[in-house]
Amino acid sequence: MTPVLESLTLIIESVPQILMGFGLTLQLLFLSGILGLILAILLLLMRISGSAYLSAPAMVYIYVFRGTPILVQIFIIYHGLAQFEAIRESIFWAILREPFGCGVLALTLNTGAYVSEILRGGVLGVERGLLEAGAALGLSKRHRFIHITTPIAVRLAIPAYSNDVISLMKSTALVSTITLLDMMGYARIVYAETYAPYEVFTSLMVIYLLMTWIIQRAFGLFERRMSRHIRQ
Amino acid sequence: MSNSEPNSEPNAEPIIVLKDVDKFFGDFQALKKINLTVKKGERIVVCGPSGSGKSTMIRCINRLEQHNAGQITVAGHVLTDQIKDIDAVRREVGMVFQNFNLFPHLSVIDNLMLAPRLVRNTGKIEAREKAMSLLERVRIPEQADKYPSQLSGGQQQRVAIARALCMNPEIMLFDEPTSALDPEMISEVLEVMTDLAQDGMTMICVTHEMGFARSVADEVVFMDEGEIVERNNPENFFNNPQHQRTKLFLSQILAH
Amino acid sequence: MDVLTGWWDDFFWGSVVVVQVFFVALILMVLFGLIGAAAKLSDNKVAQKIASGYTIVFRGTPEILVLLLFYFGSAIALTSIAQIFDPEIKYLDIPPFWAGSFAIALIVGSYATETFRGAFLGVDPGQVEAARALGLSNFKTFIYIQVPAMWRLALPPFGNHMLSLIKDTALISVIGLEETVFIAEQAMGTTGKPFTMFILVGAIYLSFSTIITLSVMRMEKYANKHLEVSR
Repeated sequence: MTPVLESLTLIIESVPQILMGFGLTLQLLFLSGILGLILAILLLLMRISGSAYLSAPAMVYIYVFRGTPILVQIFIIYHGLAQFEAIRESIFWAILREPFGCGVLALTLNTGAYVSEILRGGVLGVERGLLEAGAALGLSKRHRFIHITTPIAVRLAIPAYSNDVISLMKSTALVSTITLLDMMGYARIVYAETYAPYEVFTSLMVIYLLMTWIIQRAFGLFERRMSRHIRQ
Repeated sequence: MSNSEPNSEPNAEPIIVLKDVDKFFGDFQALKKINLTVKKGERIVVCGPSGSGKSTMIRCINRLEQHNAGQITVAGHVLTDQIKDIDAVRREVGMVFQNFNLFPHLSVIDNLMLAPRLVRNTGKIEAREKAMSLLERVRIPEQADKYPSQLSGGQQQRVAIARALCMNPEIMLFDEPTSALDPEMISEVLEVMTDLAQDGMTMICVTHEMGFARSVADEVVFMDEGEIVERNNPENFFNNPQHQRTKLFLSQILAH
Repeated sequence: MDVLTGWWDDFFWGSVVVVQVFFVALILMVLFGLIGAAAKLSDNKVAQKIASGYTIVFRGTPEILVLLLFYFGSAIALTSIAQIFDPEIKYLDIPPFWAGSFAIALIVGSYATETFRGAFLGVDPGQVEAARALGLSNFKTFIYIQVPAMWRLALPPFGNHMLSLIKDTALISVIGLEETVFIAEQAMGTTGKPFTMFILVGAIYLSFSTIITLSVMRMEKYANKHLEVSR
């Protein structure tokens, strides 16, 4: 067999194996994406609450999770938490005993910190004058936040949020370091069997690039929808 | 155009009273011992050089800025830190901004309906009828379903006036409503404001439109460096200013 | 802290490795970023295509994948080249230090490409016109007007790129670089205290992040001196 044909055969054989991990990659992305968004909103509300008791812990949390490598966060949760008997005997152990639970938890905690900063950027980007106009009309603080700040901030935050979803997708590949078989995990197995890094890893790269493209497209459409009031 | 008749009776009750009001921004004193009484139905034009405290003063009246000393009473409510429901006061006071500040994500009609629906719990149909009648009053009912960014500046400002009127305010504050407009759009906004004045609305307008002041105002207030320098009826204000600073300002603004 | 006895040395040298990788990768990252930006801004269609391919690929694939592809791929290439000269050689690789530094610099460099390009395009054209109208040469306009303005625009995102670099260093442990995560994995095996070990690693990285953040803040303050309100 010629080398080109050999490579082609390798790619054709390895892609289906890699795709066996596609479901897990998607699960990680969606679960931690949604949980992370909820966490981010909570952190954002704490930060803009005006109370130091709420905003200071949120700031420290965000600082720590943005200032340390996500790989370290994954290892602390996966390897580290088992060090404590209290955790091993708690109800959370059902989740934390499983690498999947650890992976989702780590990704959620990490993306929550980043996304809350993105949302805050959106909130700070809302023109002051619009909120003053709301106040002058007698809208309460809550009404102003729900009906003025939120819709405008969401639109402002979409491009950055889309980038963070892509980051999250890239981070899901790290769970292969804690024995999970996502696409990256399967690719590493296939590589160990074939010693063909170019074929195996490049195929996986193409799959991830396609996912990136789909995420960008989806958010691009969403942003266009949200911006229909700006189009002439 | 001659002066319209003052529509406040001589003994009408004061609806806005500012007493010895001070306002600081850090070290900078923006308002110095301001005293101003406005009676129900009175139309006041406030003028003065930039940075004289005109905008700050009217922004204190609906508490977009908080004054540091003195007392402000609006429609019977004293504005203090303890005030329970500043939103209740704000419902009685409509405001029109220099930059319109229309909500960009809402259509024109939704801009008008938002506050009545949320604050006054007005039903959808009723709020819509009210909004449409006000859009007719500012002469742009055909723009109801457009978004603010699709309108000209003059149209946007007329929508902003209608939006404030939707809450049936007793008082209207205008903060340089024509300063951000192209010259050819100024008159359409002033016409709407003149209509409003003739209907008996209590108005305080910060503006440099001296023609408007002459024809509509009951009184003109001149401010400089955070103080009220002079207050007079338009006739005397323009023809016989009492203070040197007023004369200087008028000569500069009327020179061109 | 007793469990750490005997491991302090290893964590210290692990930290030194982190710093070394950071500086090597930083230089490479700036280089890749500048080349990428120059290619994107050039009139050459081929260069533009290559540069946008570079940014799309490296911004859209997981860092760990780039790292593994780069490390194992280069090993295969290196081995087959070496075998031409000496058929006895079974396996040859680029040391994880260099493969890793190069890979993370390529990744972060793809982001820096956009930063540098954006900074160049972000300079107010009026300032350039004003300088040209005053008779400054193209070169002098670039050095005295455009570069300082670009620097101010690029500094905040550049700070984030440096943070990405330092954090991506941790990933290189996966291909065997003996930085702090690698040390902690070994220490965890012998001491049975994984939490302690990885929290220490987290603390080390957090201190590096803090140093970078504070330095960038200082630089921003210096770069924006002219914007300070005079009293």
